[in-house]
Amino acid sequence: MTAQFPPPVGEAEQRLLSHEQLEAALRDIGARRYHNLHPFHRLLHDGKLNKDQVRAWALNRYYYQAMIPVKDAALLARLPDAQLRRIWRQRIVDHDGDHEGDGGIERWLKLAEGVGFARDYVLSTQGILSATRFSVDAYVHFVSERSLLEAIASSLTEMFSPTIISERVAGMLKNYDFITKETLAYFDKRLTQAPRDADFALDYVKRHATTPEMQRAAMAALTFKCNVLWTQLDALYFAYVAPGMIPPDAWQPGEGLVPEASPAAAPTGAPAAFSGGDVPRLPRGVRLRYDEVRSKHVLLAPERTFDLDDNAVAVLKLVDGQASVSQIARTLGQTYDADPAVIEADILVMLADLAQKRVLER
Amino acid sequence: MNAPTPAPSPAEVIPAPVGLLAELTHRCPLRCPYCSNPLELDRRSAELDTATWLRVLTEAAGLGVLHVHLSGGEPTARNDIVEITAKCAELGLYSNLITSGVGGALTKLDALYDAGLDHVQLSVQGVDAANAEKIGGLKNAQPQKMQFAARVTELGLPLTLNSVIHRGNIHEVPGFIDLAVKLGAKRLEVAHTQYYGWAYVNRASLMPDKRQVDESIRIVEAARERLKGQLVIDLVVPDYYAKYPKACAGGWGRKLMNVTPQGKVLPCHAAETIPGLEFWYVGDHSLGDIWTKSPAFAAYRGTSWMKEPCRSCDRREKDWGGCRCQALALTGDAANTDPACSLSPLHAKMRDLAKEEAAETPPDYIYRSIGTNVQNPLNEKAPL
Repeated sequence: MTAQFPPPVGEAEQRLLSHEQLEAALRDIGARRYHNLHPFHRLLHDGKLNKDQVRAWALNRYYYQAMIPVKDAALLARLPDAQLRRIWRQRIVDHDGDHEGDGGIERWLKLAEGVGFARDYVLSTQGILSATRFSVDAYVHFVSERSLLEAIASSLTEMFSPTIISERVAGMLKNYDFITKETLAYFDKRLTQAPRDADFALDYVKRHATTPEMQRAAMAALTFKCNVLWTQLDALYFAYVAPGMIPPDAWQPGEGLVPEASPAAAPTGAPAAFSGGDVPRLPRGVRLRYDEVRSKHVLLAPERTFDLDDNAVAVLKLVDGQASVSQIARTLGQTYDADPAVIEADILVMLADLAQKRVLER
Repeated sequence: MNAPTPAPSPAEVIPAPVGLLAELTHRCPLRCPYCSNPLELDRRSAELDTATWLRVLTEAAGLGVLHVHLSGGEPTARNDIVEITAKCAELGLYSNLITSGVGGALTKLDALYDAGLDHVQLSVQGVDAANAEKIGGLKNAQPQKMQFAARVTELGLPLTLNSVIHRGNIHEVPGFIDLAVKLGAKRLEVAHTQYYGWAYVNRASLMPDKRQVDESIRIVEAARERLKGQLVIDLVVPDYYAKYPKACAGGWGRKLMNVTPQGKVLPCHAAETIPGLEFWYVGDHSLGDIWTKSPAFAAYRGTSWMKEPCRSCDRREKDWGGCRCQALALTGDAANTDPACSLSPLHAKMRDLAKEEAAETPPDYIYRSIGTNVQNPLNEKAPL
C-alpha cells in the first residue's frame, strides 16, 4: 500500500504524523526522487552505456564514497552519547576498513581499477566533475551544520539502496563484459550494511521528530539528500551521454587509465557502442574524398573504398575530431529541420558500424 | 513515340578504373617461391624513370583511380619512392605501400610518412623466424620486419599484415593472427596462395591438403568473431578448393590496372602468361587510351568473349568467369571457364590434382630471382 505524502499546505501541514505515517511519507520521497529513477542509472543498469561512460560514473562516484566517512565523522563529533557514537562509528569502519586494503572505499577503488583506471588518478579526484564536488561537499556541510535530526534523516536514502544495488549488480554483470563479480564486491557488503544502518536511522528519526516542524525538517533533509544524488547523475549525463559537454579539466575518455599490457590480453569482443558525448574522428589512413570522375563522395580506407549514401556523407563531413555525436546531430537537425534526437539515434548506429570496420575511432 | 533507349548492361560499359597497381621495380631482397611477379623479371636498367611514373599517376587520377598500390618487388628499392608517394598525396590518390619491410624500407619510412603515405601493407612469410626466413629466402629478415612494423604503428600509420598461406606455414595461421594483434595491425590478410607465376612453378611444394585448408578457415572465422572491432581479417580461400572462382582483379578491365616496372600495362599481374595478348606501354600511349582501347584490356572485358558454361550463367557478371590466367594454365584456353568453378567440367580434376600434390612429399622450393632460367611452367606441366 502506498501512503499519501502529507499535503504541502494548510492545516494538515501542522498535523503530527504517526510513526507509520512518517515512515510512509519518507518512503514516498524515495519512490519519487531516489536516483534509481534517473535516466543515467537506467542506461547503466540496462547495459546501454559504453565503457567510458561507466568509467566516468565510477570515477565521479569515488569522490562521494571517499567523503562519506568525512560526513559521518562530522556527525559523530556531534553525538552526545557513547551508545549512539558506538553505533554510528561502525559506518566509518565500514568505509575506511580496519586496516589497509579493507573497507568500502578500497572496494570502490577496486571497482574503478576494474574498469581500467590507474589508482592514483582516482585518488587524486582531479578528473571529477565540479557538479560532483559541489553536491558532495554540500552534503558534508549539511550534515555538519544542520540539526542532528536533519543530519541523520539525510542518511535515510539507505532505506532505498538495497533495491538499486540488486538491480545494479544483476544488470551490470549481465550487460558489460568488462565488469566482473570481483569488481562489484563493494555492493556485496552494502547489501547487508545499508539496511542495518537505515533501520537505526529511521528509528532515530521517528523517535526524535516530535513536532510537525521537526517531521517536515526530516522529510526536507531526505529530499535534499535525494537531490545530492540526482544532481551528480544529471552532471554525468550532461557531460558523457548527451549533449556530451565535458567541462574543461574534467576527465576525458582515455585519461588516467592503466596502459593495457597488450591488446591481446585485454578483454576483447565488440567495441562499446558510441554515445552522444563521444567525439568521432577518422584515423590516419581513412579519408573522405569527393570523386570528381564519379561525382560522388567516397570514404577511402586501407585496401577498400566505401560508397556512401547522402546521409553518411552529411555526417562524415562533420566528423572533424572536435564535434561530438550530439553536436553533429544538432547541426544536422538545424540543416534539415529535423529532430536531433532521432538523427542522433541513426548516427550512432552508422558510426558503430564504421568503427567495427576500423575506419572510425573516438 | 520512341521507345526509351535501354540502359546498356553493365557488361557493355567500360567503368572507370578504381585501382592502380604500380609495380615500381622487380628488385627485391626476398625470394619467395610464390611471388606474383612474372618468371621473367624486369632489370633495373629497363625501369621507368621518375618523370614517367609521376605522369602515370597524374593520368590515373584523371581517369578516376582512387587507390594506388605502390608495389614491386620491393618498392622502397626505388630511390624516388618518397617523391612518388608525395605525388599521390598531391593528387588525392590513396597510397598503399606494399612492402617486405626489409632492405632500405625502414630508413625511408619516416620520409614516406611525411610525404603523406596513407597505409602500409607488410608481408610476413611466417611467424617462426627460421621458417619465415626459409620461405623468404633471406637470413635475418624477420627481426627487420618486426622493427619495421613497430615503427609503422608508432607513427600512427594503419598497418595491414599480409600472410600468403601454403603448406609451409598453414600451421601458423593462429600465430599470424596473434602476431597481427601484437603488432597493432588493423587488418590481416590470410591469403591462400594463388597458383600463377612462381607459385605455379612451386605448386607441388606449396599446396596444402583440404583438411588443413578447412581448419585454417575455421580458425580465421573464430578469430574474426573474437577480435571484432579490433582486427579485420580478410580471407582469400585457395581456388583449388573453392566452389566458385574469384572475380579476378574485380573483373578483367573493370577495376584495376597494373603497370610493370618497364611500363607495360596489364589487366592483372599475371596477364602476360596468356600468349597472343597485345599489351600497350605507358611510354607509347596515355593511360586512358590503354584502359579503353588497348587490345589486351578489350580481350576479356565484359561477357561477349565467354563460352559455356559461363555464357548463360547467372553469375557471369558476378565473377566474370574467374581467372583467365588460371583457365589458360589448367585448361589450355584462356577463354574457358576457370576450373576453380564447380560448374567447370574440369573442376573435379583440378581438385584431385591438388589432393595428389598435397599428399606427396613437397619438393624443394624454386626461389624467384632475376635471370634464373626457369622454364615456362606451361611447357612443363601439362594442362588438365
